[in-house]
Amino acid sequence: MKKLIFKGLLFLTVLTLILASLSNLFIYKIDHRGKLLEGLYNSDDPYDVVLMGSSHMNGGIDPNVLWKQYGMTSFNYATGGQPIDVTYYLLKEVLKQHSPSVVVVDLYYLGLTNEYGETGFISNALDNIRFSKNKIEAIQNCTPPNEWINFLLPALKYHFRWSSLKSVDFTYDSSSIYYLKGFSAGTSRYGKQDVSYADTDKKQEIPEKSLSYFYKFIQLSKEKGFQLVFVNMPCDYTESDRANGWVNDCEAMFNTVADLCQKENIPFVDLCDQMDEIGLDFAQDMNNSGHLNVWGAYKTSSYFGKYLKQNFTFADHQSDSELTARWNQDYSHSLAASVENGTAGT
Amino acid sequence: MSFASIQFLLFFPLVTILYFALPHRLRWLWLLGASYFFYMSWNPGYGFLLAASTAITYYSGLLIGKAQRLPDPVKSIKMKKLWVTASFVLNLGILFTFKYLNFFTGIFSDIFTPLGIPVDRTPFHLLLPVGISFYTFQALSYTVDVYRGDLKPERHFGKYALFVSFFPQLVAGPIEKSKDLLHQFSEKHQFHYDRARRGLLLMLWGYFQKVVVADRLGQLVNTVYNNPGKYGSAPIAIASIFFAFQIYCDFAGYSNIAIGAAQVLGFSLTTNFRRPYFSRSIKDFWRRWHITLGAWFRDYLYIPLGGNRCSSARHCFNLFIVFAVCGLWHGASFSFIIWGTLHGLYQIFGLLLKPARQKALTILKLDPDSRLNHVMQTIFTFVLTDFAWIFFRANTVQDAFTLIGGLFRPCDLSNGALFSLGLTKPEFFAALIGIAVVLAVDILSRNADLRNRLLKKKTAFRWAAYLSAAILILIFGVYGSQYTAQQFIYFQF
Repeated sequence: MKKLIFKGLLFLTVLTLILASLSNLFIYKIDHRGKLLEGLYNSDDPYDVVLMGSSHMNGGIDPNVLWKQYGMTSFNYATGGQPIDVTYYLLKEVLKQHSPSVVVVDLYYLGLTNEYGETGFISNALDNIRFSKNKIEAIQNCTPPNEWINFLLPALKYHFRWSSLKSVDFTYDSSSIYYLKGFSAGTSRYGKQDVSYADTDKKQEIPEKSLSYFYKFIQLSKEKGFQLVFVNMPCDYTESDRANGWVNDCEAMFNTVADLCQKENIPFVDLCDQMDEIGLDFAQDMNNSGHLNVWGAYKTSSYFGKYLKQNFTFADHQSDSELTARWNQDYSHSLAASVENGTAGT
Repeated sequence: MSFASIQFLLFFPLVTILYFALPHRLRWLWLLGASYFFYMSWNPGYGFLLAASTAITYYSGLLIGKAQRLPDPVKSIKMKKLWVTASFVLNLGILFTFKYLNFFTGIFSDIFTPLGIPVDRTPFHLLLPVGISFYTFQALSYTVDVYRGDLKPERHFGKYALFVSFFPQLVAGPIEKSKDLLHQFSEKHQFHYDRARRGLLLMLWGYFQKVVVADRLGQLVNTVYNNPGKYGSAPIAIASIFFAFQIYCDFAGYSNIAIGAAQVLGFSLTTNFRRPYFSRSIKDFWRRWHITLGAWFRDYLYIPLGGNRCSSARHCFNLFIVFAVCGLWHGASFSFIIWGTLHGLYQIFGLLLKPARQKALTILKLDPDSRLNHVMQTIFTFVLTDFAWIFFRANTVQDAFTLIGGLFRPCDLSNGALFSLGLTKPEFFAALIGIAVVLAVDILSRNADLRNRLLKKKTAFRWAAYLSAAILILIFGVYGSQYTAQQFIYFQF
């Protein structure tokens, strides 16, 4: 019996190792994968600022603008639909390799009332984190138990792709997208005004699980010694307020967030309330009701970079000629450059 | 809990380890608890029905045993008949209520309502308990065996309850006879490394049959059979051939996992499939397909009806009845009855045409034992079997006739339409390879014990084979959110 148990465990171990090694082949080679591999593991660049959060942040703050206008190095780690608990563990993963002085966290996903986010969205982030204790904790806390095995061994989740694998799956190289520094925004123009905004003093409770992660970020900032900045990006809340699994009054929830941040002495920049100051034209500068487009992101990045520059002190990178040349070169290819030279969207 | 679930892959090793770790006197209790947990994980309410069938057949066994000891032989027979009838009425009553009530209410309503006699056809809204036909038949076999004096009544209620609920074969067989299985629960099983390895290998093969072959074939079958009027001859023919292998791999896969799991625990279950698509007649097919059900009907219905030791007309009648009931056993629908009846008719015509067939062989100067004749018989049997499967798989009788009509409607598949039937080109070829592997294993296992052969190979070869098989199942298997989860087909029976 012991012999069978021993051999059985050995068999499972070898099988697991084979599946783990096959997983990279089967994971979708989308930009979220590329940016996280670059930002988490391949890049040694020192980041002054790291930008965390969901799609609102992914298409909201462009590190190339922060570099060009304020000389700050930064990387945008946000991915579409990233729940706040996933953001927390992703930040812990970032901090293994990087020591930013400021961590900016987009709080849009505080509004999620479901215990777990969408599996596909969680996959965007967790599938691209290397196996570690942090990844196990992330899977344990951010995904339903019946999905754990699929997150531990993504080959089991994506095995159906065996018949549609392409050469890029075997030879994937993420370095070609590093120049974007994790930023990605659309070039559509929403064409409608924000109908959800209402100046209100109402308060709405933050969902329990989200609230616990709100405090975990604060705790982490104290432990690791970085300055935490919470933000909320420009958005029309109409769809969110009506959605299942979401708080029914986002504006009121962010009033609660503002109160809690004041109490905890953490800066909270509600960019959704500062659209006039940013100079945003909702119809022209949004890609859709919830996401900025490249023009809106340019304005918002410029505005938010100014805020960072005025409130925090960052290292001067001009003395590092290699980094400066490379980041300047990256900028010349960036979406921000295309906005500046008028070629964006063409 | 399905065999093809993570839960079972955790449940089974745990049950096995604790089974052998426990003292012999407690093992039946552990297996009984595990079996009820296994069954009630579908629906806790099912456990009550299982317990009810168990209690009825257990006490009927004791009462039959008591009646056997009566000094008056006439009264003894009378009482035995009373108790065996009571057991059948109660068990089949439960089965009828849960499986057939709505079907027969519908039939009565269709007959009597036009005559002005109202029939309440409000459907009975209770979920059909999985495997109810399997365990009911197994429990009834005990009643009959005790009645016939083939078996002494089991006095240990727990061990008897385990016989009815033994988890490897509870929901889809093999349907074991009490005289073959019941005594095994009192035997002291030592752990045997080689037996466990053989069991695990059989389980691995069962998973391959189910997850890689059956469920992949099911993708194309579902596409065509769920849209019966949409397709012409080639897609319907391909889907029907695929279904023949889907149901074989689905059911034989389940049986292999069941037999393998029982073998690991030290129990011996009956072989349920023996290369069925190499049968040379329908009669031969039923000796190779769902062997334990065939044996049940033979021993408890066909032979009591008179079997073949009667007039030719009566023999044909017996065949007709047995196969019509066999069809009904599979499901409360006319399509299953037609499927069963077709098999009965095939055999009746086979009997009636036997002289003509022999004459034809003489005229054609074809040796009945020649390879050519064997191949032709095998192909003809497959065609007949596959034609009957159309009724088995079609959602309604109407759909079945639509599909049969479609077989005569030409259809062009040359422009890639073949790969729009639910399987992409690589998936389609993987399905064909799956069928080829299953047939190859069937052929190779005719004269050799493939598991023994593998187990005699060097360690490196064996491990490479085990790992390759596991990877093959996990990568090429049809499971997970991208595929519609497919239950084992026979659970519904």
